[in-house]
Amino acid sequence: MSRINSFLRQPIVVALVLIVFLLYLGEALSPGFATGGQILRLLIVASLLGIIAAGQNVVILGGREGIDLSVGGVVSLSAIIAGNVMNGADGGILPAVGACLAAGAFFGLLNGLGVTLLRIPPLVMTLGMLGVLQGLLVVIRMGIPSGQAAPALSRFVTQPFAYGIPGIIWLWIMIGIVMALMLNRTVFGHRIYAIGSNEHAAYMAGVPVGIIRIALFVISGMFAAIAGLCLLGYSGTSFANVGEQYMLPSIIAVVFGGTSLAGGKGGYTGTMAGAVLLVILQSILTTINIEESGRQMVFGATLLLLMMFYGRGRAMRA
Amino acid sequence: MAETATVPSYRRAGGIGRVLERYPFLPALVIVVALLFLNGFFSPNSLSFRALTGLLSTYMALILLSIAQTYVVYAGDIDLSAGAILSLVNVAIVVLMERWGGGAGAVLLALAMGLLLGLVCGLVNGLVVAALRLQAIVATFATSIFFTGLALYILPVAGTPAPALFWRAYGGRFFGVPFVFYILAVLAILLAVLSRTRLVTQLLAVGDDPQAAYQTGLPVVATRVKGYVLCGLFSALAAFCITGDTASGDPLVGGKMTLYSVAAVVLGGSALSGGWGTVVGSLLGALTIALVNSVVFFMGTPSEWQNFVQGLAILLVLMAGVLAGRRGRS
Amino acid sequence: MSKLKLSGVSKAYGATLALRRGDLEVMAGEVHVLMGSNGSGKSTLCKIIAGSVRPDSGRILVDDQPVTITGPRSARAHGIGIFYQELSLAAHRSVGENISLGRLPVKAGVFVDRSELRQRAARYIGLFDGVSGEEFSAEALVGSLRPDQRQLVEIMKALASEAPLLIFDEPTSALDRAQVERFFEILRDLKRRGRGIVFISHRMDEIKAIGDRVTIIRDGETITTLNLNDTDPATVIRLMVGGAGDMPASQSSVPAVVDAERGAALTVRNLSGRGFSDVSFEVARGEILGFGGLHGQGQSAVLRGIFGAGAVTSGKILIGEESFDASGPRKAIRCGCAYVSGDRARDGVISGRPIIENVTPIHYLRDRLMIARPRKLRHKVAPALQSMQTKFASLFHPISSLSGGNQQKVIIARWLIDRPDVLLLDDPTKGIDLSAKADLFALIRQLAADGLGIVLYSSEDAELLGNANRILVFNGGSVSRELTGADRTRYNLYQAAYEAA
Repeated sequence: MSRINSFLRQPIVVALVLIVFLLYLGEALSPGFATGGQILRLLIVASLLGIIAAGQNVVILGGREGIDLSVGGVVSLSAIIAGNVMNGADGGILPAVGACLAAGAFFGLLNGLGVTLLRIPPLVMTLGMLGVLQGLLVVIRMGIPSGQAAPALSRFVTQPFAYGIPGIIWLWIMIGIVMALMLNRTVFGHRIYAIGSNEHAAYMAGVPVGIIRIALFVISGMFAAIAGLCLLGYSGTSFANVGEQYMLPSIIAVVFGGTSLAGGKGGYTGTMAGAVLLVILQSILTTINIEESGRQMVFGATLLLLMMFYGRGRAMRA
Repeated sequence: MAETATVPSYRRAGGIGRVLERYPFLPALVIVVALLFLNGFFSPNSLSFRALTGLLSTYMALILLSIAQTYVVYAGDIDLSAGAILSLVNVAIVVLMERWGGGAGAVLLALAMGLLLGLVCGLVNGLVVAALRLQAIVATFATSIFFTGLALYILPVAGTPAPALFWRAYGGRFFGVPFVFYILAVLAILLAVLSRTRLVTQLLAVGDDPQAAYQTGLPVVATRVKGYVLCGLFSALAAFCITGDTASGDPLVGGKMTLYSVAAVVLGGSALSGGWGTVVGSLLGALTIALVNSVVFFMGTPSEWQNFVQGLAILLVLMAGVLAGRRGRS
Repeated sequence: MSKLKLSGVSKAYGATLALRRGDLEVMAGEVHVLMGSNGSGKSTLCKIIAGSVRPDSGRILVDDQPVTITGPRSARAHGIGIFYQELSLAAHRSVGENISLGRLPVKAGVFVDRSELRQRAARYIGLFDGVSGEEFSAEALVGSLRPDQRQLVEIMKALASEAPLLIFDEPTSALDRAQVERFFEILRDLKRRGRGIVFISHRMDEIKAIGDRVTIIRDGETITTLNLNDTDPATVIRLMVGGAGDMPASQSSVPAVVDAERGAALTVRNLSGRGFSDVSFEVARGEILGFGGLHGQGQSAVLRGIFGAGAVTSGKILIGEESFDASGPRKAIRCGCAYVSGDRARDGVISGRPIIENVTPIHYLRDRLMIARPRKLRHKVAPALQSMQTKFASLFHPISSLSGGNQQKVIIARWLIDRPDVLLLDDPTKGIDLSAKADLFALIRQLAADGLGIVLYSSEDAELLGNANRILVFNGGSVSRELTGADRTRYNLYQAAYEAA
């Protein structure tokens, strides 16, 4: 009995149960909500959020109050870069991917260096970097047109790719597998958990703490860059600050997936479920016929309610 | 047994360290003075009384919001809903003033309701974070969505004007002195009074080491809740200023200000981990942001580069703030 | 009159039973000593009285009235004040504020009464006038004080509660003689005024000097309460360690001095750094070199320095014939140096992660592995754990599910997959039970027999005497005496440790 109980309390199980519940609820509220095509559309949006959350996830797992507020900026930047590099031509996709990844890695590296070498708290460092990125976006947008997604990229994101499922969802599943393998089956993954759980003990056991932490921010920047590229494919053209709306939701998706903001505990599979949960919730709120204000209030209150399921802090008294 | 005599396992702060220990906002003050100098260098006019008054009335809201943020940061918490509270109070008082006729009585009553609203929002945050023990970052983000929803409910689109009486008073002069300076004076007194309260000492003790504070017998949960309430009240005051400055209601006006308030707190030398900081520092931090923006403008930076240079400058002073603050604490 | 009475109090943290059955009765006007080895449950008992730990069962009576203590505030309301072993100070607040933090004096309902705060601070600081050291004032920030001064602040804070019942959990560990003397005068005065005092210390002389009665706790259970006048230290120690009192030290044959012909495993010449200066020694292969002396005389600092985790300013280190200069633990590990800390929670345990991940990091580093294949590593991990009879249900259970002793065995096991040349043990048995200690020392002797050079610092003399071939006694950061052969007696060790004090 207690085994069933503890199984049901696992964040990922909570998230999956809630997802099924919300799909039923959505279908009841607006018939047609839970049809295959509709679910695929939801999953496309969830994959955009989920890819950003992958980077957010590793940064948070690495502990020391790890968080990356700059992902929103990197997503927007990457979308603009990609739009201009490919400029509507399929041949430009590969160079665009390279340019975006380089840009994401660069800003991630700066974050990582600030956090490790200067020991700036991640929240402060990435917040400042967000400001820089926003400024940079203005500069770029003034100088050049917003650019167009290559048709192949748009197809990849929005049209069925294999077995009727769009390429971006396949990409997300692949990222899920790679992340699971990386976290559980590589020394690097074990070291992420080690520095997140007890940084000093990890250092004493020979874990290169600083290098790992820098790598986490670089990974986060690169995932945000990939998401920006996909976002361009999703919307066809890049517009200002597209990425910003994903910044805090990416953290919530990680939390809903059962990863502790204190670090060292959690994984990416849960985060994927968390991203889907968040997107379905938002989608239900858009289908029901209420004002934007009511929608936001219900959304905020529901988020709070759901947080009650996940990693509440410990009481002061042991 | 004289182990401490031969084994120095401690380190005393040096000269600079000791000064910083006493006045942690000093680096922020130096930066503010330097920025004022730069402003004067690029455009002597920008240091005119009129220009500075304008700067103050525009950034008074951010100053108050940063002070609001400081009280929760004291206790090691954070409030990502401060800007949403500001928006909510902004639209609430504008709508109330309009509904009640825009007279002096209506304005005062609406302001009282605004304060009450800020208090309730702060209380909600406090209960959610301290009593329910949810993570401050994500929980206050969720409440910020809720508060924004409420603001949109009260006023779906920006635009309702504030009564002329209100914004004329805010932008006007009394006995030849601009109104914002009265605000600044009252604020100075208020902050001085607050700094002597038991609550502020308890907030700092809780932020210093929550477990130790609990073991000492401090009411940790109640103290943190009160910190959020204080934050809510100051956010409401910030809303009054933004209403005076923009003379209208906008349900999304504060959204972008939250992260700036966090930045201002860090610029002021306070530690986000809690237990260390000053409200004066946050005030200077907010001024730093204001002056950076103005310097970048007066330097003649091409308009498209302004945001970038501002962002870069703020990132650099943020890093400087953290490093200097650590120097003072070590 | 009974000030406080506890009966049958227990507390479990998950599977670990911290306190099985705690009984204690403290009278008005007595200093009641609590004794027990590390991890026997003394601190848990104190924290239950002070309200910061919730007991699972048992009854608490204050002034013969049954009470329920719901938290530290309620404990204060019931007249209980406490000195916490790990201190409960706010580092960025002043000494004066810290002294009064528990009940800040208030003016007009909301303001801190600064003048009352100052007066109160002056009163309690005055108690330690002359012994509190330089730059100790009400305005000083606690974080800038020396460890002994911080301990004094915690004492003042406990005293300022003016509680009828005061608990002092190891209040003297960092204090010097004069400070302890002054503190005892204050305690005697409180005694005269009818306060009840619970006192914990590991120093026998202090207990004799101040205590009236002693309650002995072993393995989470109250054994007995004795009048200190009617007993002698030997009896107390025997009761503390129980039937197994003579192990693991003297039951096995005392090791002989190893001849250095097998060559030096570790050579240290004129090593100086933070907390130690001019330390030289040599450890032969197969030798266990003991570090003795009072706590905190530089033993840990030397070991950490060699391992690259502490500051070294000058000197030379050789592992085998190779010169060795560890810039950090990574380098040290690659060179075949191993370090086990007694502070498991801080330096060792990767909390919340599976046992296997706690065993493998050194192997990954030394073999430069990229891919983690836990199931493939099983046959390497299991023998390492079994060599110490580590008890665990599965390699994939979290390490936190184990008892302290088994956790420490896991930490040591991580060094056994790829054998190091030098093993540095920094008080490795702190807070673990006797059978685990026996297993550990059996292994350590085996490792020495296999040819490792081992340095063992232990805060327990018996462990050194029973296992070390030679003992270096540390005092004030340098080696004050070397004990070899027949000199390795408890008396000599004790004398060498105290001679400079």
